[in-house]
Amino acid sequence: MRRYLLGRLLLAVPLLLALATLLFMLVELAPGDPADLLISPGMTNEVREQVRTNLGLDEPAPVRYLRWIAAAATGDLGFSHSRGVSVRVALAQSLPNTLLLTGVSLVLAFALGVGVGIVQAVRQSSWIDSVLNLFVLTFYSLPSFWLGVILILVFSYGAQSVWEWPIHFPASGATSVGYDLMGPGERIVDRVRHLILPVGTLVLVMGAGVARYARSALLEVIREDYVRAARARGLGRARVLFRHALPNALLPLITVFGLYLPVLFSGAVFVETVFAWPGMGRLMVDAVASRDFPLVLGGSLVFAVLVVVGNLVADLLYAWADPRVRYG
Amino acid sequence: MARVDSFMAAGAPTPADGRHGGTAVMGGIAELVNGMNAFTTTGYGSSQYQQFVNLMTLVRVDGGLEARPYLAESWSVSPDGTELTFRIRQDVYWHDGERTDARDVAFTFLRATDPETAFPNPAYWDHYVAGPEGVEVVDDFTVTFRLEPHAEILDPWRAVGIMPEHLLADVPPSELASHPFGSVCPVGNGPFVFASHRPQESWTFEANPAFPGQLGGRPFLDRLVYRVIPDQTTLLTELLTGSIDMYLSLRPDQAATVVEDPDTRLETFDPREFTFIGWNTRRPQLADPRVRRAIAMSTDRDAVVQALLRGFGTVAETGVPPFHWAYDADLEGPAYDPEAAAALLDETEWRDRDGDGVRENASGAPLELTVIFNAGNQDRQTIAELMQAELRSLGISVTPEGLEPGELARRATDPSVRDFDGLILAWVHDFRVDEKDLFHSTRADQPLGFSGLRDPELDRLLDTLQLVVDRDQSRPLWHDYQRRIVDLQPWLYLFYAQKLTGVSRRLQGVEVDFRGEVVTVGDWRIQEAESR
Repeated sequence: MRRYLLGRLLLAVPLLLALATLLFMLVELAPGDPADLLISPGMTNEVREQVRTNLGLDEPAPVRYLRWIAAAATGDLGFSHSRGVSVRVALAQSLPNTLLLTGVSLVLAFALGVGVGIVQAVRQSSWIDSVLNLFVLTFYSLPSFWLGVILILVFSYGAQSVWEWPIHFPASGATSVGYDLMGPGERIVDRVRHLILPVGTLVLVMGAGVARYARSALLEVIREDYVRAARARGLGRARVLFRHALPNALLPLITVFGLYLPVLFSGAVFVETVFAWPGMGRLMVDAVASRDFPLVLGGSLVFAVLVVVGNLVADLLYAWADPRVRYG
Repeated sequence: MARVDSFMAAGAPTPADGRHGGTAVMGGIAELVNGMNAFTTTGYGSSQYQQFVNLMTLVRVDGGLEARPYLAESWSVSPDGTELTFRIRQDVYWHDGERTDARDVAFTFLRATDPETAFPNPAYWDHYVAGPEGVEVVDDFTVTFRLEPHAEILDPWRAVGIMPEHLLADVPPSELASHPFGSVCPVGNGPFVFASHRPQESWTFEANPAFPGQLGGRPFLDRLVYRVIPDQTTLLTELLTGSIDMYLSLRPDQAATVVEDPDTRLETFDPREFTFIGWNTRRPQLADPRVRRAIAMSTDRDAVVQALLRGFGTVAETGVPPFHWAYDADLEGPAYDPEAAAALLDETEWRDRDGDGVRENASGAPLELTVIFNAGNQDRQTIAELMQAELRSLGISVTPEGLEPGELARRATDPSVRDFDGLILAWVHDFRVDEKDLFHSTRADQPLGFSGLRDPELDRLLDTLQLVVDRDQSRPLWHDYQRRIVDLQPWLYLFYAQKLTGVSRRLQGVEVDFRGEVVTVGDWRIQEAESR
């Protein structure tokens, strides 16, 4: 296993290099640069050229590529002109927020999805299955940005201003105004309150997808002979389900986990925008809009690393879930 | 250099007079790009915070666009108009305790006029002598600039925040744009002290207890927070739930909700920003001003204002805004009259020669126009589609094309490209309106010369307008200029959209006008009982 892991990690190096090269080429192919976006009174060709010089864009693309890739290998991803800090610092400010949002969402979406899938599979064709199916299909087909707005209107505006519920949630941001003045306990509560609506949005949409996979995977497994045999031997329903059926049904879900990572990161862009969540998605959107090439490249590279690592984790989970799968 | 050693902005106690205290939270869709760096900022939001919150300009303008003292307590112009001398206040301190003096003003000018800085608004200094020859520090609080006599000489000093020489003098000009000063560690001298910046999330400022009493003294608020909330539905929700006190630039369709809510009110003001369709007059289809005028006459701009802005706007005739002293109130633009438009077009070489519904010229080239706009801007797409429908009956085929903003800018402003017929854009003039870059024939090959207009009469007026110092003498020339623009129709001016601001009723003292939303920020108050 250790050799397999090492091999995969080594393989990730050329993969990331190829990705970095591709990303650089794509960014180069994109029309315009920061100087093009400067449209202000008195803007002259000379000023634009000076802006390009100041940003190091006056050098040929191959020179800039070699310079960037050499620096990136040492962990220096360049300087973000739109943020006024190094790319590494800009990423360090946003990445934790996205990891928090997507990490919590991923765990809860799988917990909820698998739970709902189990209930649906066990109660197949019952009214419970039908009702849950209705919810699952509804949330599965809803765009996350729209669902986010609805949750804001209900649990923030409606709950506070219309129905005056005792509990309501903030509609935007990762923290409240005055967060810095709060005590440690208040800060945790404040963080959790701000997480609820964006996480709820991602969990409902993603959990619905997981539930569909879980239901069909479990239905397939519980029709297998070994499950029937277990039942015939008089094992309890829960034992049959959790000991024999579920571990085998998990395998396709691990594949889904690997496939969901890029979807999750891209989906978080919309959720981060609706909820003003200061994460990587918004960072990237702003970077593209301001033609902050080093930040676009650095952010894309981080996403690429996260997806590669995520898929590696999925492979390792495979080995953990299925004893027949052995690497190395 | 003098210091205020007892300067303790953040920890200063709140005066206990009942008027002070509390936090006001503003919400806007965009980050304050480049923050408090006056050397790089072109954005509206950042400029507002620089001019009125964190930094100080030498002068401010009142509602009549007359300059009033601010950091400069007085100024004088030499009889021949070639020297402008400012006397700087002696009681203004940078928020790190250093005194603001004439060297800071000279430093700001020198860096802004240094080509290596790539200052984004170089037109400010068109008539100033650039570089060290153009400025002299007479004493600690007196600075003199050399210039050629011209109109509105104080305008740059209303717009550009003075920057701290003692912190930035060692930064090479080419590195000023990317220096962390602007967004990581700003040190201003205005009524609010920078406290923190959470990128993409918020800016927090605290009251400056050392702000001169003659300029209003310590602001009533303890803190001013600007929150970045990119979604406008979320912004409205935050205003209605009391999480923010001011929603900047709300959409016209949200105005009714703000008006109906008992806890909020709607503030509106006429902006300087106008939306237009810029024609590329280099194109044979658009070379004849009669064609451009006919297009204007067949575009129902009143209907556009009603449909897009729900009435919160006025039809624009030129780039001189209605509140401006140079505005010609008697000016009549092309009225909506499709029949007269068709008749006017019939006088040109463009006729429908093959009966296909689209006009052609003598050589058979069809009257087809591609109108570009930034993709994703629904309003501009609607404008393009409305024009497509209206001009079809005139025999003009319009193809709307949404472009990614970078590509749009490249096709419009790169002199070697200029690949468009019409371009939907919004534009903001400074208070000193100067359209030389847009319409003077000598600037046609510069980035902003997208119209490609070459008209000797307009050139003469543009050259003259900036040199007439006296407004009363200048006003008739401005009226001539606006009439010439209406005749030539280099752009189809569409509308001035009113700026709409949603304000919580607990926040008092807010007065908005064409200068912006935070002009009176020092007077903003929150009722004690409703303090955050």
